[in-house]
Amino acid sequence: MTTATEIADHQSGFSLREWIFTTDHKKVGVLYLIGAMAAFVVAGLMAVGIRLEQMSPGESGLINYFVLDFAGAMSTGDAYNVALYFHGAAMILAFLIPGLTGFAANYLVPLMIGAPDVAFPRVNALSLWLFWGGIVLALLTFVIPDKPDIMWTGYPPYSITTTSNTALYVFTVHLIGFSSILGAVNFLTTIIYMRAPGMGWNQMNMFVWTTFAAFMIQIVFVPVLAAAVTLLLLDKYIGTGFFDAARGGDPLLYQNLFWFYSHPAVYVIFLPAVGLLFDIIATQAKNMVFNYKTAVYGGVIGILAITGEVWVHHLYIAGMPDWIRIGMMISTLLISLPVGLVLISLWGTLYKGAITYNLSMWYAVVCLFLILVGGLTGIPLAITSMTVHLSETSFVHAHFHFIMGLMATFALFAAVYHWFPKITGRSADSGMAKAAFWFKVIGTQVTFWPLFIIGVRGMPRRYWDYQMFPEFEPYHQVATFGAALIGIGVILMIVGWIYSAIRGPRVGSNPWGSRSLEWTHTDSPPGHGNFSKPIEIDEKWMPYNYR
Amino acid sequence: MRKRLRGVGVLMIGLFCLIENALAETTKGKIQSPTDAWNHTWTEVLWDLWIIGGVFAVVAVYLLIKYRAKSPDAVGTAVPLNLDKMLAWALVPLALFMADDFLLAAKGWTLWNIQRTVPENAMEVKVTGNQWFFEYEYENGVESEELVVPVGKPVVLRMTSNDVIHSFGLSDYRLKEDIIPGRITYMWFYPDKPHKSHVLCVEFCGTNHSQMYSEVRAIPQAEFDTWLAKQAE
Amino acid sequence: MKQYSLAFLSVVLFTSAISTSAYAQYFRRPTSNIDPQIMIIDETKVLGEKITPDVMLIDQNGREFQWREMLGKPTILVLAYYSCDGACSLINSMLQERLSDLTRVKAGDDYQIVTLSFDRHDNLKTTGAFKRHLDLTGPLSKHWTFATFKSEQDLKRETEKIGFKFFWVPEDRLFLHPGAFLFFSPQGRLVRILYQQDVDAGDVELAILDAKQGQFRPAEVINFAISLCYSYNYKDGKYALNIPLFVGLGALIFGLSTFFGSIILFRIKKGKQKIRDRYNAETA
Repeated sequence: MTTATEIADHQSGFSLREWIFTTDHKKVGVLYLIGAMAAFVVAGLMAVGIRLEQMSPGESGLINYFVLDFAGAMSTGDAYNVALYFHGAAMILAFLIPGLTGFAANYLVPLMIGAPDVAFPRVNALSLWLFWGGIVLALLTFVIPDKPDIMWTGYPPYSITTTSNTALYVFTVHLIGFSSILGAVNFLTTIIYMRAPGMGWNQMNMFVWTTFAAFMIQIVFVPVLAAAVTLLLLDKYIGTGFFDAARGGDPLLYQNLFWFYSHPAVYVIFLPAVGLLFDIIATQAKNMVFNYKTAVYGGVIGILAITGEVWVHHLYIAGMPDWIRIGMMISTLLISLPVGLVLISLWGTLYKGAITYNLSMWYAVVCLFLILVGGLTGIPLAITSMTVHLSETSFVHAHFHFIMGLMATFALFAAVYHWFPKITGRSADSGMAKAAFWFKVIGTQVTFWPLFIIGVRGMPRRYWDYQMFPEFEPYHQVATFGAALIGIGVILMIVGWIYSAIRGPRVGSNPWGSRSLEWTHTDSPPGHGNFSKPIEIDEKWMPYNYR
Repeated sequence: MRKRLRGVGVLMIGLFCLIENALAETTKGKIQSPTDAWNHTWTEVLWDLWIIGGVFAVVAVYLLIKYRAKSPDAVGTAVPLNLDKMLAWALVPLALFMADDFLLAAKGWTLWNIQRTVPENAMEVKVTGNQWFFEYEYENGVESEELVVPVGKPVVLRMTSNDVIHSFGLSDYRLKEDIIPGRITYMWFYPDKPHKSHVLCVEFCGTNHSQMYSEVRAIPQAEFDTWLAKQAE
Repeated sequence: MKQYSLAFLSVVLFTSAISTSAYAQYFRRPTSNIDPQIMIIDETKVLGEKITPDVMLIDQNGREFQWREMLGKPTILVLAYYSCDGACSLINSMLQERLSDLTRVKAGDDYQIVTLSFDRHDNLKTTGAFKRHLDLTGPLSKHWTFATFKSEQDLKRETEKIGFKFFWVPEDRLFLHPGAFLFFSPQGRLVRILYQQDVDAGDVELAILDAKQGQFRPAEVINFAISLCYSYNYKDGKYALNIPLFVGLGALIFGLSTFFGSIILFRIKKGKQKIRDRYNAETA
């Protein structure tokens, strides 16, 4: 499809038709970002609704408006559960995973490895449209009368006995899951076969490595999730008894299958996020990645190796046999080994660097501390006997929000600021963007620290009414105030992006002075075929060679 | 290099001594309350977290301030590691993290043994979860909607559900276990002083999930006997 | 649905219990005084119960012992009465038959069997006669204890606790009772109930594995895998294949093969073109 007319189109300006039918990995990437941000905004609105409802123990009824139930047809409990379902499912399946492995991987991987496009460009377009289909399906939640309320986990028997619409959940998972599998097929082949001539495995950007690992996880584990939710569908609508205890099924088996995918899914989010941080920090500190080979083969591949053996830590209190709870405690604690190596390399990348502080670097710096808090609070949750109390409390809630909701999300935003000049040719740095940054940093800390505190004291997750704990009300109020700050920050950030994309100051093709291929060998934005000059890579070349 | 490896060896031996110590604690004779044991272990784990977190945070702040770019054209001056250093920077941290992991695992396992070893003289109460309430049945057949227990006697709960999965969360006693249809799960706690608290359903179970809770009252034995007799009428 | 199946089950039970000696009288007697529900143990109520560890029992040799001695490995408990010449010996000999078919689990190593009388009139003589009549051989005879309760009070309390109901029918001079095998865990908790007329050897084996409560020795990996592959169906009272597990495994294999398949596909389709591209890039 690379014809002269298309190149002419590209130069002449915007063409809607071209965007819709694009197979160009860069446009696909940008469309992924738009879809992911749409999901983020709606799911974020749900979060605001959840926080408003939790501001006081009793019923405020505000949450009904958030799920578009203006007539008050639903009880507060039901409306709250719908909001919570959408927040969880959309943030993970439609924002974080597509944001990191859709937008970032699509835009950056071919540029970083010196490939003109991905291996199967049409398959890539198909996976984009499956993802958009998934988003539309997820948004239908607010339109249909029997809104799903089964949480993003969808545990049976509740998801089977409930009157709400489990099918919508299942089909959303199917679409987005299928999209992920296609993406994985595409990127694994791209990374294996389409690296620029001369580029060895040990010369790839950290982000390429982490994307590789993330897609390995996706391709192996997503089918398991798809199978589990399909059985859920059969149980609910065809009347089979796969998960019905009275008919020979085992409700616990669903949880095992679900977390067998969904724990690795955490690394599908964590790994690319860390990969982005490596590339941003190495570029802004103009320094090499510290102990690259250890970070790759010990850290990234280590996480890949251990990811399938730890899922029972999500089921510590779910009635599994005692020996498996202890066995998985040890394997879960051992996650600290590869993650520790990754952190040491991240920290070490600053050592003897020449750090330039700009917006993307500030985001990355904040991420370093977010990883610390999120990772360390994971340690008590890895210990079975500690989890016996902490499980299902807002301690857990705050823990995984620090890793996924804050660290991975901030890493994604850092990436947008870092590669904004590449995508648009303009700088995204503005007063508005700086204000957005501070609103979000302060807002997130104000929101989630109180949840750690009341979590240890027993505040359960997924509660809208906490009449048994009136003493927690002030903490919830502080958290809600924080959520409002985050909300303002997000609005400012998105408005800032749109403004900068149109009016931002033009910058050159390599404003950060990076040595990575996507900066050194392309225009901003890159044209068709990506590279403006031939790529020559010798054995000494590294994307991090600054000295 | 060899010296470093020896250091790792010493670390590992130290670690096994620690595990020995931790396991020795389980052999004490008297009833250990899982609640006190949890609180105790939590304090220790928290120290561990603050120390690791503190070291990393201080180092990060130091590096971030120290290595600011002095001029716009400045570049980083780090050199690639030779093989010795590379291995050392992989193996020494691995040994340290592993030592900490095993220490924590030993502590966790000790606590777990306390949590799962039900004292023989424990009073048994059956718990049945329903959407959205708990039911209790005592050994003499008395049924109740609140959990009343005598002070000073371990209580073991034998739990199952009539409909969906619930979870029995005794937050004041630092305990929790799911209630599953078609399965029996159990947990035990030791009310060692009069105390009024709540048990909450902590596994999502539908509309009124956050209103599924009941009172837990630990009262003196004599009072408990009167209460039980009164319920039996 | 559940009620119907329960009713059906109880009718089957009822007939089997009295079929041998009193079949003819059965039709002459009004049935209204017997509630068929009584022959069913309500599993949801009693699973997880345990027999009081210090209950005193007397075995076939007249030795007094506590139930506590039975803890430590899975126990199959059969409640019967020894003067019974019909259903009771049938239940026991059926269990004997099933157990002698088992190869994966061994009596003594993996489980033990206790037949316990609920008839307070049973004594050493009837116990011994019953055991002789059963004609046990090999490890089964060594690890199969026939016992009676020492005190009538204990008998009443313990059978009630595990939901086992029985009563004397004077006209027929026999007890009506469920023909059930009760499986206890090493900690002495009731894990599974199987009914005599439903079970085959496979069910008994799976119930024994279930009763181990996950405490498998490393050498028993295969047993553990087998116990994972099946799950118990309360409705049919039998074990059934755990289909979702296989679906999940299939999905995992699908994922792995997609990965390798796509790599092979790419090699075949684009391999040539790639070589050409590389040549072009190098000569440019």
